[in-house]
Amino acid sequence: MHVRKRVRTVIQVVGADRGAIVGKSPDDLQLVVKGSPPSAPLSNFVEVIGIADSEKSIQAEIWTNFGEVFDTHSYNQLCQLANGEYQHLFL
Amino acid sequence: MPVNLTPNAIATINDGDVNLKPLVQVLDIKQMGSAQERYRLLVSDSVLTQHAMLGTQLNDRVKTGLVKKGSIIQLIDYICSQVQKRKIIVVLNLETIIPDCEIIGNPKMVSDAPAQNALPNTNSMLLSTVGYNNLSSQSHGSNMHSIRPALSSQGHDGNMQSFRPTSSTQNQGGKMHTFQPALGAQNYGNDVQSFRPTVQPPYQPPPSYRNHGAVMKNEAPARIIPINALNPYQGRWAIKARITAKGDLRRYNNARGDGKVFSFDLLDSDGGEIRVTCFNAVVDRFYDAVEVGKVYLISKGSLKPAQKNFNHLKNDWEIFLEATSTVDLCPEEDGSIPQQQFSFKPISEIESAENNSIFDVIGIVISVNPSVPILRKNGMETQRRILNLKDGSGWTIELTLWGDFCNKEGQKLQEMVGSGFFPILVVKAGKVSDFNGKSLGTISSTQLFINPDIPEAHAVKDWFDRGGCDVATMSISRDIVQGGPKNEARKTVSQIKHEGLGRSDKPDWATVRASISFIKTDTFCYTACPLMIGDRQCNKKVTRSGNSRWQCDRCNQEFDECDYRYLLQIQIQDHTGLTWVTAFQESGEEILGYPAKELYLLKYESNDTRFADIIRSRLFYQYLFRLKIKEEMYGDEQRVKITIFKADKVSYSSESRYMLDLISKDRAH
Repeated sequence: MHVRKRVRTVIQVVGADRGAIVGKSPDDLQLVVKGSPPSAPLSNFVEVIGIADSEKSIQAEIWTNFGEVFDTHSYNQLCQLANGEYQHLFL
Repeated sequence: MPVNLTPNAIATINDGDVNLKPLVQVLDIKQMGSAQERYRLLVSDSVLTQHAMLGTQLNDRVKTGLVKKGSIIQLIDYICSQVQKRKIIVVLNLETIIPDCEIIGNPKMVSDAPAQNALPNTNSMLLSTVGYNNLSSQSHGSNMHSIRPALSSQGHDGNMQSFRPTSSTQNQGGKMHTFQPALGAQNYGNDVQSFRPTVQPPYQPPPSYRNHGAVMKNEAPARIIPINALNPYQGRWAIKARITAKGDLRRYNNARGDGKVFSFDLLDSDGGEIRVTCFNAVVDRFYDAVEVGKVYLISKGSLKPAQKNFNHLKNDWEIFLEATSTVDLCPEEDGSIPQQQFSFKPISEIESAENNSIFDVIGIVISVNPSVPILRKNGMETQRRILNLKDGSGWTIELTLWGDFCNKEGQKLQEMVGSGFFPILVVKAGKVSDFNGKSLGTISSTQLFINPDIPEAHAVKDWFDRGGCDVATMSISRDIVQGGPKNEARKTVSQIKHEGLGRSDKPDWATVRASISFIKTDTFCYTACPLMIGDRQCNKKVTRSGNSRWQCDRCNQEFDECDYRYLLQIQIQDHTGLTWVTAFQESGEEILGYPAKELYLLKYESNDTRFADIIRSRLFYQYLFRLKIKEEMYGDEQRVKITIFKADKVSYSSESRYMLDLISKDRAH
């Protein structure tokens, strides 16, 4: 849906696969994040900002550690609101 | 499909047959009176109609439409009762055969002289009833002889035809005896009795003949009926029940002189309960005879409306025993009658209960306080003990024991809790009180059971062992000290003013998410009395006495060290507005993070700037405040006073969900 667009999301790190990080999206789908992760070790939840090169993968440019605990349900709702009815409220 | 009603059913029942189990049709249903829920029916056997009354246990059959006008029903348990010259059939159990049917035949109202009706019907009656009388089983030859003339005088020769061949001799008894097996059923059919012109006794038990002839006194045991079927319109009744409670012997003095009274409660196998009361001479007869837990057969008492002020059992009636009443102990244990019957409600339900309502509760005793003597209004001194009960709903309530309960059960519970056990307590008939939030108290009819062997007790113990003990206690008692009743009514600051919260008789509760914008530091705490009154700290403001000591006016004592307790004036603010609230010790500590004494010493004795830093650092923190809002008189004017009961840290996760929820609700309209 957002292929070739700049996207941002928070994933739960599940593992690594051939140099890319495999994570779980806030709506429980699998995502592959390519690119160069930061030198610091990744926490459980990481925010990635980059270009979506397919439905299921992101070429990440910025990685931010979000810690060990995160409410994915609320974040998911936020994403839905931000792209839906209340789009105009978000930059 | 046409159905045949039992021919002559009405007449048969009127004559005393209770085993016919006839098919009759309901012609009419009326509700009796406005106070009681009782249905009156008109039933017919297609030829005659008769008034009948439905036992209250069958009321829902009418309500659900199983029994309505035109319904064909089979009477299963019933008796025919004489009420002021009229016969009324009291139906205790029935089955609906056909709920909807056109009226069969052209039935006429039966007249009030049953004996006459019996005559034309006897033929068919003998044919239709199952068995024959059991005269032979108990008879003596002479009796048979004496009965015979009565029979023939009524012209039942036709019937006796069947007996004739064998009854030609005087020695009827023997012949009848041999006749009996051929007939089969030992049915107490009462056919013979019905031919006698005397008034029917309502019950037709096996007649016990004495040697002196036809005088029949019905001394056979009356039929046992369920307690719920008891009503004053019945003739004789008998109930078999267990005593669940026995009241104390009370002496009284009124205009008619001195008297004494005592009561006991009964429970039968159907779960019906009723109170039995004895006055004066009757007390002497039965007081020592009745014991709690034993099963008794009780009969010949009078039924009167129950006094709901004292009698909290679920029954409209109360039994009053008289000189002629009988109370017989049943020696064999009747397993079908439970030992006790409870209707437990969770403690959380008590919060919304009315003051003075009666409840049964079961819970774990988590704390027991010592007995204190209390002076009552009439000058008498009694004991009072407060303990705390917690149950599966997670709530805790204060239970006040009065009088004897303090010494007996109270003492035992204190020992158990003191040794580290958490006993299960069942309170039957505790009274809800509005004092200090909601609490329970014992009354004279309360019963306490410690660790009873009932399934509910095991369930509570399981819950407790599995972690129930760790569930944070939320108390619905103790209005002030511990967090007030959980009231999740979310408000914004401006809503407090706009909705005029706090202006009614009772305080309003609200939850507000706001930030602290200012803390007044001039007087942020006070010197409090540290002494204990009962189980609570006195906390009254103490005054200096001398140079180094403190004096409490309430406790009337002096001491060196006083307690410091918070009394904070805080300004809180959210996106709608700001308001002043007061925080006491518990919430104060939560907000500031330091004990009051420490800050006091810091400000007045050591480091003033450090104190200011600490205060400043607490500003703009967001909390979920649980507020109590009440209007109070301040001098001449009414002011709305807001107090913080709890200041909870905001959980971002749940707050987000709450707000998302608000958004979706908003979206809906």
